[in-house]
Amino acid sequence: MKKRVKPSLFRAVVTLPAIIYCLGLILLPILYVFFLSFLTSDSYGGYTYDFTLNNYVEIFEPTYIVMFLKSSAIALLVTFLTLLISYPFAIFLMDKTEKKQNFLIKLVMIPFLTNSLIRTFGWVILLRKNGLINTGLMSTGLISSPLALMYNTFGIVIGLTYTLLPFMILPVYSAVSKVDRNLISAAKDLGASKWKVFKEVYLPLTLSGAFNGSLMVFIPAIGYFFIADILGGGKVMIIGDLIRNQFLSARNWPFGAALSIFLLLFTLLLLKLYRKIGGRLDELGGGI
Amino acid sequence: MKEKNILVVAVLGIVLACGLYFAFSTRSERSFKNGEVNVLNWTSYIPDDVISDFEKEFGIRVNYGTYSSNEELLAKLSSSNEGAYDLVFPSDYMVELLIQRGMLEKMDKERLRNFSNIDSLFLNQDYDSSNEYSLPFLLAYAELIYDASKIRKPISSYRDLINKDYRNNIILINDQRIIIGSALLATGAEMNSVKDEELEMALKFFEELKPNIKAFDSDSPKTFLITKEAEIGLIWNAEATLAKNENPNLKTVFPKEGFAISMDNYCIPKNSKNRANAYRLIDFLLREDISARIVEEYPYISPNNGLISENEAEIQEILENGSYVENVGVDIKKLDRLWARFK
Amino acid sequence: MRKIRRKKHFYLRNLFIILVFVFLFLPIAVLVLYSFNTSKMNILFEGFTVEWYAKLFENANLIDAFKNTIIIAVISTIVSTILGTLSAIGLKKYNFPGKGFIDKLIYIPIVMPEIVLGIALLSGFTLVKLKLGLFSVLLSHIAFSVPFVITSVRSSLDTLPKDFEEAAEDLGAGKFKTLFYVTLPLLKPGIVSGALLAFTLSLDDVIISFFTAGPGTNTLPLYIYSVIKTGITPDVNALTTLMLVATSVILTVSALYQTRKLRKL
Repeated sequence: MKKRVKPSLFRAVVTLPAIIYCLGLILLPILYVFFLSFLTSDSYGGYTYDFTLNNYVEIFEPTYIVMFLKSSAIALLVTFLTLLISYPFAIFLMDKTEKKQNFLIKLVMIPFLTNSLIRTFGWVILLRKNGLINTGLMSTGLISSPLALMYNTFGIVIGLTYTLLPFMILPVYSAVSKVDRNLISAAKDLGASKWKVFKEVYLPLTLSGAFNGSLMVFIPAIGYFFIADILGGGKVMIIGDLIRNQFLSARNWPFGAALSIFLLLFTLLLLKLYRKIGGRLDELGGGI
Repeated sequence: MKEKNILVVAVLGIVLACGLYFAFSTRSERSFKNGEVNVLNWTSYIPDDVISDFEKEFGIRVNYGTYSSNEELLAKLSSSNEGAYDLVFPSDYMVELLIQRGMLEKMDKERLRNFSNIDSLFLNQDYDSSNEYSLPFLLAYAELIYDASKIRKPISSYRDLINKDYRNNIILINDQRIIIGSALLATGAEMNSVKDEELEMALKFFEELKPNIKAFDSDSPKTFLITKEAEIGLIWNAEATLAKNENPNLKTVFPKEGFAISMDNYCIPKNSKNRANAYRLIDFLLREDISARIVEEYPYISPNNGLISENEAEIQEILENGSYVENVGVDIKKLDRLWARFK
Repeated sequence: MRKIRRKKHFYLRNLFIILVFVFLFLPIAVLVLYSFNTSKMNILFEGFTVEWYAKLFENANLIDAFKNTIIIAVISTIVSTILGTLSAIGLKKYNFPGKGFIDKLIYIPIVMPEIVLGIALLSGFTLVKLKLGLFSVLLSHIAFSVPFVITSVRSSLDTLPKDFEEAAEDLGAGKFKTLFYVTLPLLKPGIVSGALLAFTLSLDDVIISFFTAGPGTNTLPLYIYSVIKTGITPDVNALTTLMLVATSVILTVSALYQTRKLRKL
């Protein structure tokens, strides 16, 4: 006869991983960044242990505020565009059989399986001055001189929308698929227009899904510096660029740390809002 | 049900086996009997085949990492543990800074058989006046380049870049100090000035220039000129030479207000663990045939005396007329902010 | 008349769905196409060749980076799946001091800007003097994958009939025995999709690896980042194509398996 394992051992096995993971890989590093954010940077790369709030004050300098606003505007536009694509996509998908829906949603995931940098490079081939889109348009005579499709904000918006679209499609689809089909047909039978059905039925019932997706799009959109670098030609700085520069080139860790903490607080605020409108934490990032 | 379980286990097993196979067959497991050397260098600076020839000849594995600015190098050096890197290639002002911060080992020239290959013209520069910690690797200078078939009006100064016809047509090095420095030169100031009023003037120049800028790129500005994405550039000489090879219409000029030069150097970081291998690699790179291969692929100016005989006068002139970027201490924050405002 | 209109709508709707997929697959299709390009520059398509698929294996840096990427993806998937599954079960079943806090903290990495997590991990690693390298990248990938596994397993846990486990225990099976023979098999759909998610996230990651990699640990994204501006050569496209084919096959197989499984529940 085998011995019974003590429940306390079992308990330790299933609870300790969560505790160790949370403390070691999440909490400790964040606390250290928090600590760093109060230190004073010296002129070149190092920092001294003089406590100061200056790093936080510096965030509110006009130069940076302008940059934050620009970066947020880009991110908002990207969020809006992904919403604009995801809603009709998800609603139209409802006409399909469940099997087809499953297949198509998996298909949305396929581009994920290559690295996002490589996909961004795919856009370079398409968008550059003598790239496929411009040469295509010019050979059909639609335009006479090449359009500036990248090395500007437009390129960044395309790149971000593309990279982040699946993060919006998944939660929106998941929310839309949970809407009772009878409600929709009832509304239609009562003579509601398509727009009205969307506004009165879909939208209120899928709000938390849309917010979930917006979180998953907006937040990376202010941080994905590599897309801004590659498609923006280094001309447009987003918040991610600024933070990266503090750590990797501008030699100011404390300021970078303060920016990170600031961004983290902002994220937590959005998260709070998400829960307020009825969003659930365990649906974050997909809910599939 | 049973078969499916077996299937899942089988798939996981295969994936695991592949992982382990890869884990044990990486380059580190191949025959590098003489250890390794951790190198951190600029992107596009030493051809891959030069490195692999070194690996073959000496049986030393080269772990090669790259950076695209001196500041990034500094950040990587300070954020990694001591001894993580054995050979780095900082530019002039960064050498000075690294020395000040005690982050470099002294350079033992006795260990380099090919030390005598370095032309004296390149030695004893201000940033390390007796080459105690550094030896010159390559000299670069920033020059103007333009496509003469498209840009009819010859360009000879930074001021010439401000022209409504050049909208979205200029590619610049993505280097804060060089670009701010050039803007200062354009407005008649010193390249390393940190005076507020002069910086404001430079910012004004920037703002006029801004609509004309296509992109900032340090890694491969030549691509823009070769693919005709941009027709004017302020870029490093090697990039300019490579671009000219591909597009013969391109012309280069030394801007008449002055220009930036930059000397990159071999340096060994403090407490490097593979110092002997670092010296072996430096010695290898100092060989005339190897230096020739490097500048053939990346046509900067090599200090190798066998390679400069013909254009010694020109090099002397470049060294005299060009300005190095200098350390500005805490004022760097002013430049940071200016850069953020500009962009 | 109405019927025709409805049909038109149907086509328009399908057209929209198709356009979305065109958008999603266009850059990938271009990359695949250019992997057969004779020109070294990824600019114009000049002619058809498969030589890049052979040349790919001569590019030692690229192959090394690829291997590192696979090693990290595989190990981080295995570790984070185990960690995540156990954590999900533990958080569901037991109360312990600070649980409420941990329960919330665990979701933070999902929404937290990657750059902040990358920086936090980089700072943390330098604090404990961990050498930046393959291991630090691995740890960081585990750090961002675990929460995704937890959420995925959790959604399975919520649908789990509790009496199964109780029945098993009543019949004298120990806790571990119940875990292995009852709970885990029932959670399999959640675990598998969590693991897949962890795997794809690891392959896709750029930003966190960017901060936590050290000398000699070239991963595919870092390699590509270093060559992207000089222009990617078609051997990278070829590798991408191969990876895409391989992962699509795995995904399709598992998707088929999973949907069948879900329907049974």
